[in-house]
Amino acid sequence: MDLDWLLAGIETEYGLLVEGRGANTQIDDSMALVRGYPGECFVGWDYRFESPRNDLRGFRLDRLEVDPEDAKFDTDRLSRPDSDVRSDRVLPSGARLYNDHGHPEYATPESHSLGRLARLDLEGEQIVHRAGQAYAEAMGAEVRLFKNNTDFHGASYGTHESYLAPRSLGFDGLYESVLPMLVARQILCGAGKAGEFAGPVSRALGAVGIGSGGRNIPFQISQRADFFVEPFNAETLFRRPVFNTRDEPHADPRQWIRLHVICGDANRIPSATRRKVGLVQLAIALAVVGEAPVWRLRDPVDAFKRISRAGAAWIASGEEEWQRTSAGRDSPLAIELKGGSWTTAEQMLESYFAAAERILGLDPASGGIRGELRQVVAECRTLLENLRDCRDRFRRHVDWAAKANLLAQYVESEGVAWNDPVLQALDLEYCDIDPENGLFASLVQLGEVDAELPSDAPEYNRAFARGLATTKFAAHLCGVTWAALTFEIEGRRREVHLDPTKRYGPELAEIEDVTSFVSRLQEIAE
Amino acid sequence: MIQADRTTRPNAPEPERKLGDDGGPNKPDLKKPTGPNELLKRLKKVDPDQAKKYRQRSGQ
Repeated sequence: MDLDWLLAGIETEYGLLVEGRGANTQIDDSMALVRGYPGECFVGWDYRFESPRNDLRGFRLDRLEVDPEDAKFDTDRLSRPDSDVRSDRVLPSGARLYNDHGHPEYATPESHSLGRLARLDLEGEQIVHRAGQAYAEAMGAEVRLFKNNTDFHGASYGTHESYLAPRSLGFDGLYESVLPMLVARQILCGAGKAGEFAGPVSRALGAVGIGSGGRNIPFQISQRADFFVEPFNAETLFRRPVFNTRDEPHADPRQWIRLHVICGDANRIPSATRRKVGLVQLAIALAVVGEAPVWRLRDPVDAFKRISRAGAAWIASGEEEWQRTSAGRDSPLAIELKGGSWTTAEQMLESYFAAAERILGLDPASGGIRGELRQVVAECRTLLENLRDCRDRFRRHVDWAAKANLLAQYVESEGVAWNDPVLQALDLEYCDIDPENGLFASLVQLGEVDAELPSDAPEYNRAFARGLATTKFAAHLCGVTWAALTFEIEGRRREVHLDPTKRYGPELAEIEDVTSFVSRLQEIAE
Repeated sequence: MIQADRTTRPNAPEPERKLGDDGGPNKPDLKKPTGPNELLKRLKKVDPDQAKKYRQRSGQ
């Protein structure tokens, strides 16, 4: 089976704290921070192809819901054009930097390689940090940026993943194949969170809390679990789902879907980023051949929250106790299925691994994405073993466990309770992207976490062409999207589409005139 | 052990290799701070109230 078409990207909304300012000025700050990015960039994002209200199920929403509490901050900005508020910058790598609801957002260029995608995600941290430094200097104030997904007071902001998937899968095919993976993968990819938030919407919909044990959760595996209230829908700002049905393909919509995953966390450990994406790609690849494991969850929202809250059981138990209690129906990792049956997150993950080995041909000689997926499977199996019997190894590779260990050391040393607010302060510090002051950077320096540097090998896909266009032919470029470039040449507009599956090779960089460049892009896409 | 009411999949084959066996990129050459309390010292420097003051707009 050909897997070379597998393509993914990650978009991260960063938390932003500017000394002396607050949520009421956050959009202004985020816009100014993005606009002041000191590196090379192109201004001219083309919004014509954006369709966040289109739903994979075949209809279009009249409007997207907004958080009524958050909407109180909005004033005149609602009447401003998108280009003004979003302040898009296209970077030479083909990445996108912009303001999204008051959060500087970095969207990686798309990549066919898990390692390269993790590298691009790391580059995003550095780019956003640089923009923050420039803004701090301009404002004469301290500016801090956080790679996280919650403010502990009810606001959440996303780290979304985009996956190329064949249109033929449709909503049903993707939902059934990918949803169980989204629920289960948390245990290997969650970023961890101190505490819980039972917000007004969650309370109203009865989605927070599991039985009588859902309150006062001291530690969770997922940053985002508290904010999901429905199994699936197209919303992202309010009434968020585990499985997002937004149908906004960044390619030919007749052929492709962009699966928009919104339930993942912002990872700091690069191998966790690689793993997070690889696991969903395994599910998509299996869906394409109709071989994804079939798991019918009784309540996907409840299951997602339950797995997230296994973090509380983890910190409360030692290794032996965890081993003893994590195998039965009452296990923190148990997932209820329709019809009264049940399984565990570990078993669910293993079913994907076994199917992938059987169907996808992940043999040792595999190169490219096949080899990377094979590595993901091997690593995940090792980590699942470590989850049971070697916490010291597990926490080196998984953000939530690294964070839990950090907090546990503080709890033991200072004698504070697990629900002490200081632990949320430490959680926040873990997510600070400042390489000099962030707590995660300290863990790297101390050798406490896996600091593997992902691949920096160049990749020649359509992002390469996009980047070239913005650097070499900016004078002629008047519109950029993920899937198309628009040039103005001798008074005529020429739009060229960028095929996500085609190779845009290094020879493109040798072309000196824009007409030849556009012609070559058209030839590649045809 | 498989229990009667539990939905399962076949047992997995043993992992073929462990983490770190892949010959991947080398780890960065970082100077490792010394002293067992280095991390705790770092934790104690954190403003204990910073999360209380951290308020964000709701995003996507």
